[in-house]
Amino acid sequence: MIREIRNALTRRAVLMGGVVMAMGVAGLTQVQAQEPTRLVIGTTADVVNFNPLVGNSRSDTWVTNLMYPRLMQMTAQGSKDPYVATEWGYSEDGLSAWLEIRDDLTWSDGTAFTADDIVFTITAVTTEKIGVTAGLIPAFVSATAASPTRVEFVLSRPDSTFLTNIGFWMPIVPKHAFPEVGQVATFANNTDFVSAGPFILTSVEPGQRYLLEAVDNYPLVEAGRANIDEVEFRVFPDVNAQALALRAGDLDVIANSLPAPIARTLQGQPNITVAQAPSLGWSHMLYNLQREPLSKVEVRRALAHAVDYEAIRAIAMQGLAESTNSSVISPVLSYWADPEAQEYAFDPELSKQLLTDAGYTDADGDGFFDNLSLSLLYEQSAADIANWAQIVKDSSAQAGIRIELVGLERNTYLARAREQKDFDIYAGNWAVMEEPAAYLGLAFRTGAFINYASVSDPQLEAYIDEAQSATTPEAARVPVQAAAKLIQDQVYDNVLYYQTFQFAYNSERWENFVMQPSDLLSLVNPLSLASVTPKN
Amino acid sequence: MHLTGYFLQRLLRGLVTFWFAVTVTFFLVRLLPGDPVSAVASPSMTEEIRQRQLEVYGLDRPLLAQYFAYLGQLVQGNLGISFLSSQPVSKILLERLPWTLLLTGTALIVTVLLGIPLGVLAATRARGWVDQIVQVSGVIGQSLFVPSIGIFLLYTLGLLAGWFPIGGAVKSDLTGFARIASIAHHLVLPCLTLVMAQLASYVLTLRATLIEALGEEYCDLARAKGTPENKVIWKHALRNALLPTTTLIGLQIGFLVGGAVLTETIYAYPGVGRAIFEAVGQLDFPVLQGAFVLLAATVVLANLATDLAYGLLDPRVRAG
Repeated sequence: MIREIRNALTRRAVLMGGVVMAMGVAGLTQVQAQEPTRLVIGTTADVVNFNPLVGNSRSDTWVTNLMYPRLMQMTAQGSKDPYVATEWGYSEDGLSAWLEIRDDLTWSDGTAFTADDIVFTITAVTTEKIGVTAGLIPAFVSATAASPTRVEFVLSRPDSTFLTNIGFWMPIVPKHAFPEVGQVATFANNTDFVSAGPFILTSVEPGQRYLLEAVDNYPLVEAGRANIDEVEFRVFPDVNAQALALRAGDLDVIANSLPAPIARTLQGQPNITVAQAPSLGWSHMLYNLQREPLSKVEVRRALAHAVDYEAIRAIAMQGLAESTNSSVISPVLSYWADPEAQEYAFDPELSKQLLTDAGYTDADGDGFFDNLSLSLLYEQSAADIANWAQIVKDSSAQAGIRIELVGLERNTYLARAREQKDFDIYAGNWAVMEEPAAYLGLAFRTGAFINYASVSDPQLEAYIDEAQSATTPEAARVPVQAAAKLIQDQVYDNVLYYQTFQFAYNSERWENFVMQPSDLLSLVNPLSLASVTPKN
Repeated sequence: MHLTGYFLQRLLRGLVTFWFAVTVTFFLVRLLPGDPVSAVASPSMTEEIRQRQLEVYGLDRPLLAQYFAYLGQLVQGNLGISFLSSQPVSKILLERLPWTLLLTGTALIVTVLLGIPLGVLAATRARGWVDQIVQVSGVIGQSLFVPSIGIFLLYTLGLLAGWFPIGGAVKSDLTGFARIASIAHHLVLPCLTLVMAQLASYVLTLRATLIEALGEEYCDLARAKGTPENKVIWKHALRNALLPTTTLIGLQIGFLVGGAVLTETIYAYPGVGRAIFEAVGQLDFPVLQGAFVLLAATVVLANLATDLAYGLLDPRVRAG
């Protein structure tokens, strides 16, 4: 009896197993036939805000960039090429500007992408002072749509950086899908997405993944549509686990720049390519000009000659950094860079001489100048900076300058440096500084947004004014270089290096990425993700 | 005291504790570096826009008024709006909470199911080779750093052996049984990590209390009456020895909701711990505050459950 029951159960189990297997095989066959091509990208953080005008984390930018286009795209030299905008220019007096856009772009719901969308976006940004763009275009007065493809702007003063600033820094949002001006900054934009980029967000699983599907009309690539069907951003907060996922084939690309040791490990893998891109931002030290003795240029020069720049790039950065010749304009920005700029020499004896000439002595003979002890503020979780801060301390000691390192948690560091200006020496970096006439104003005008060192120099401001009011790049170059020379001479900013970013992807499966500079664009810029193709 | 009276007394104490935690949290997050006003309103905004921004987030009122408004919202289950994403905090946290409860709840159950028999085994074979192994393993387990365990398991069982997925909570595009199977598959390594990190506390605590209980007179009396040793252990001694372990479980439940940050980070697991960690980094005060309220509620509830269990296990507790 028991045996019969067992046999019956066994037959039923085998039968059911067979049915399940058959269903599985049938299902698999069906799935394989319709399998979309999906590129899986690793990122370390979630998207915080889907409103592209507000969201400012890298993940925010990577995802929203694929839906809300920028008017221009950046070249490897930091200049801007046509993209959605085809032509642009200024009036002779520099008080008005215009740009023409393509006529074949539509939002994914079928609405035409027109000049009205641009007027709406810039009006919202400037009225509500949203994001970095608002600070970059103080000369903006008004915008009008002269035709569906032409926008005209009125400026309060000539500003040669106005068009390129909005061209790169201002993603365009759909007027018909956003609330009216005045409510844009608080608009979450987390449902019913409308896209004019190569992809549209279709699924959000917080903490896990963001799935985007290709839209049918994306005329900015030759095929008129992205080459792949889907892009999935997967969140891996830990870079070690992220690298393992790339090696295991669970990820196809790592969007965030990789720490040197992890990049080296991945370089040894046969199916993985590690690609490099310049950062377009710099790492530096700022000296607080409001404090004695840093208000004295002799002391700042002594500090500048007490830094072992080569050691910082070779040891702390493991070779993944380029000298900017101590200039705030890197050689990467080839059009703007001054070929005669030279890095401060690491010369402790010269530092000592400069300090002795300035009246400093070492009366107690302890090897350090008396009454010259400075603190260096840095963010302790920024591993690169924590490494080179120690080198700065050691090399400064060779010049008799005592430096105390103050590593702080990020928010405390930001509050002390940016809000309270409570530091002697600030160690940090700027992310993307590609338009000299614009960023010089942000960083060195009296009271400017990121002028943490409290620089206030009428001559420097005159150069910045001249560069910003020039209506052609040729006219802007001379004052830009003069400003950079003055900044270097007065040590208003001690630029240590431009970082070289490293990114990794599975080159056995994918090809035709389009690398762009900075970690905001890198391998995951819209053009790259619309161009990438699976290898056969 | 009757069990209902005892429970009501504990419930009242829990509510007072919860209010106290909410109050401390409200004022504590405002002591963090960075100002909530500057997080939502830039000085360069026009006064009208700036004022509107402050009104949206309730920051235009005095601090005490904000506090009472917050308590009023809380009673209605409203945790506020995130500064950074402009989304309701309750939505942000509730999307994450089920994953955390699944991970930490499973880990806790597995830990207790393994911990109690191992503790009993070690205690009943005290100073024997089983006990030595359990003790050495316990000390090693307590010394292990969660990220190290995580990366080791991911590398060996995920990458090299290919038995488990590397990170995440579930594969995309799955439904029904396949989705449940995928969730279970993704759960194994993070759960194992938490079990490895916690097991030692349970085993070693139970071992120590059980050895003590087994030497008590009431156990000797039971043995003298001819009660089999297994019954002495499992029925008489274990019931008393479990009291500290019950306390530990109560404490761990509170810790588990927010304390799995490292495990969730290593395994890219989408839980509340990670949301808290990210909110601290981004100074998203409403999310941070909401997460702490959630933690406080969990701890209070867990303690309430523990107190109730105590009352059931040991009638002397009810007597005060």
